Amino acid sequence: MLQYTIRRLISIIPVMLVVSIIVFMIVHLTPGNPAYLILGEDSSQEAVQQLEEQLGLNQPIVVQFFDWVINVFKGDLGESVYSSEPVLSIILDRIGPTFSVMLISMIFTLVIAIPVAIFVVWKRQTALDPLFISASLLGASIPEFWFAMLLVLGLGVSIPIFPVAGYIPMAEGVLPWLHHLILPSFVLATVEIGLISRMLRDGMLEAVNQDYTKTARAKGIKESAVLMKHVFANALIPTTTVIGVTIAGLLGGTVIIETIFTIPGIGQLLIDSIHRRDYPVIQGVVLFIAVIYVVINLLVDLLYGLLDPRIRYD
Amino acid sequence: MNKRLSRLLISIFTILFLAACGNQDQSADGAGDNKEPAGDPVEGGTLTVAYPSEPDTLDWMATGATPTRDIAWHIFEPLLALDNDYQVQPMIAEDFTVSDDETLYTITLRDDVNFHDGSTVTVEDVIASLDRWRTISSVGRESDRFIKSVTAIDDKTIEIQLSEVYNAFLSDMAAPKNALMIIPAEIAEEAGEQPLTPEQLIGTGPYQFDNWDRGSEIVLTKFEDYTAREEADLGGLTGEKVAYFDQLDFQIVKDPQVAINGIKTDLYDYALSIPNDLYEVVETDPTIDPVSYINGYSTITPDKSEPPFDDIKVREALHLALDKEAIAEATYGNSDFYSFDGALFDPEQTLLYSEEGTENYLNHDPEQAKELLEESDYNGESLKIMHSNDSETYKRISQVMKQQLEEVGFTIELVPLEWATYLEQWSDPANWDMVVVGWSTRFSPNELGMLVNDTNSSGWYDSERWRGLIDDWAVASDDEERLDILSEMNQTVWEELPFIKVANETRLDIKGEQVQLKETWVGPRFWGAWKGE
Repeated sequence: MLQYTIRRLISIIPVMLVVSIIVFMIVHLTPGNPAYLILGEDSSQEAVQQLEEQLGLNQPIVVQFFDWVINVFKGDLGESVYSSEPVLSIILDRIGPTFSVMLISMIFTLVIAIPVAIFVVWKRQTALDPLFISASLLGASIPEFWFAMLLVLGLGVSIPIFPVAGYIPMAEGVLPWLHHLILPSFVLATVEIGLISRMLRDGMLEAVNQDYTKTARAKGIKESAVLMKHVFANALIPTTTVIGVTIAGLLGGTVIIETIFTIPGIGQLLIDSIHRRDYPVIQGVVLFIAVIYVVINLLVDLLYGLLDPRIRYD
Repeated sequence: MNKRLSRLLISIFTILFLAACGNQDQSADGAGDNKEPAGDPVEGGTLTVAYPSEPDTLDWMATGATPTRDIAWHIFEPLLALDNDYQVQPMIAEDFTVSDDETLYTITLRDDVNFHDGSTVTVEDVIASLDRWRTISSVGRESDRFIKSVTAIDDKTIEIQLSEVYNAFLSDMAAPKNALMIIPAEIAEEAGEQPLTPEQLIGTGPYQFDNWDRGSEIVLTKFEDYTAREEADLGGLTGEKVAYFDQLDFQIVKDPQVAINGIKTDLYDYALSIPNDLYEVVETDPTIDPVSYINGYSTITPDKSEPPFDDIKVREALHLALDKEAIAEATYGNSDFYSFDGALFDPEQTLLYSEEGTENYLNHDPEQAKELLEESDYNGESLKIMHSNDSETYKRISQVMKQQLEEVGFTIELVPLEWATYLEQWSDPANWDMVVVGWSTRFSPNELGMLVNDTNSSGWYDSERWRGLIDDWAVASDDEERLDILSEMNQTVWEELPFIKVANETRLDIKGEQVQLKETWVGPRFWGAWKGE
């Protein structure tokens, strides 16, 4: 197990290297450069060249790349072209809001998706099942930005229960923090609820008629216990995979949600930096997201061993 | 794409909703109507402003960017400043005099003007600020060419000796762009050519810098020891400034729909730069007041360094083929948001505005355009119109003009680009034949970026005549002479056609109905503003 974990952690390095090469290339091959943006529309050519020199943008792209990679290995992600703040501290500043949204929407997802799926499987012979299928499909396919706007109009403007936008750090009060997070997190959770509950229901229905379930029933175990102990437990493995992918996917979803709800998180930071061609920040953020992705996948793999004792890592 | 669709959906939804609620107040007055403040000012509280883009810095001297200016002019004050009529008035200065030979400027300072750090403004601070302005400000660098020496006469007076007559010097010093703001000498020297860091944001304004949460908000608080001037009626950036609010909170809100919802639910009090398309939504809501003011104009600039537009005949054909009225109507929709005026400055800028010389502006004659094109060497090569697709306005102008130009025989290709890409592509004449872009209000002919010779922003305009006028401007001795030069400038632009003006644009802001604003002049300033009960 430990050996496996270490092996997996080491394998992160080549992944990161590939990611960084791709990001660096895409970012630097995109037309536009920060010197023009900083100096504005009536800048002179000399001023632009001077600033490019100052920012090190006049060097060959290969030199810029190796400079950057070497610094990354030293733990230095560089500085923002605009604010001259270290990229790492910018990311750390912005990670709070994003993680908050992700956390609350994950709670929403699990608290709603799992009970709903179990209930639907329990009542599988009724009209509930087709109804559930339509609802989960709707949830998974509803466009986030549209749903967000609708919720804001309904529960923010018409019936003002929730704030229409903004973010308050947890340090300034847990309740206001939560109050501002409910709408964005719920929107983000909708897709995930649709996906995960559907996944869990399918897995459970598959297990419902397996031999081991029949045996359990034949032993006289109550249906509820059969569902929870035998059916649910067996359906958890594929569901966990989906949950893992989902958490990582939430990071992408926050880009839209943060814009609509003006939450100053990683997603907004990324979009802003792209518009401003703030190269070090874009590279830093993408690298950071890649690390999170890889780590979550690793955690999911390790979790399999806990959920299913038959799985061994040798 | 997502944003547009969502805006559309929201607009439809909101309109339906409002229609259902019974649309009482359809007779709402035009967007140009900015109501006079009502009642007695209320002190205290926080004004929350939804600002659409985050400034890169709050150093008003280092950049001419609008987001910087809109926030920084609450914190900093220039030595001289423009009043409501765009006249140069003293601000930190008590008074100024110009010698008879027009080369010696004597400026006296007001007593005991406080900086936010507790110190008071001294002659050394002014000279250090002036030195920094001469090196880092694009306006200051212009003036620097004429400045021979700056000397402190006593602890209240400085003398600036120019090497030759340069009458734009006063308006340069008062320009609200890359401004000659007064900061403590040690900060000016420490910062040098670098933009001020947040710790260095020490000015003399009615509000002081408190906190900048990147990506989220910029907070200013009332400066209790503010040293106010006494003139109550100057307006603009000088005269008496009273801070009624305890705090100004500029929140970065990029989506205008969020800003509108925020105003409706009292989350924000004021929001800047709402797209004109949303005017209907704003106007029909009784809780939102629209605020509008002229903010520059839209232009079409041909690339004059290469064929076909190096030929004045083809530029003439371009000008005559364009029906500006049709373009403006299709682009801005509501006639409150544009006006036709061929002048280089806004009508409100009384000392810079001349109507004369703009007679050709609205000429429209497709037949003659066809003839001119036939006479020229242009043979139907495809021409590129480049514009930024971040702005709905310039996209629409490009689309309508493509149609109009093709009718007279041009072949047109549209090149929509994202702003950062656009700025880069702009620098090379090979990338474009025409650009469509807007220019915000300028304060001196020197600042007209679309006419600065041999630059990409002017489309490589190269005119003896224009350069001569700029030189004349520098030495013009009185307002009358200056007006003559301005008329001559208009004439030159409409004869040489370095760019073609489409229409004056109006910027739309919105505010909650309780918020009372004194005036908007170029952009909103929140001293003198308060929030009613």
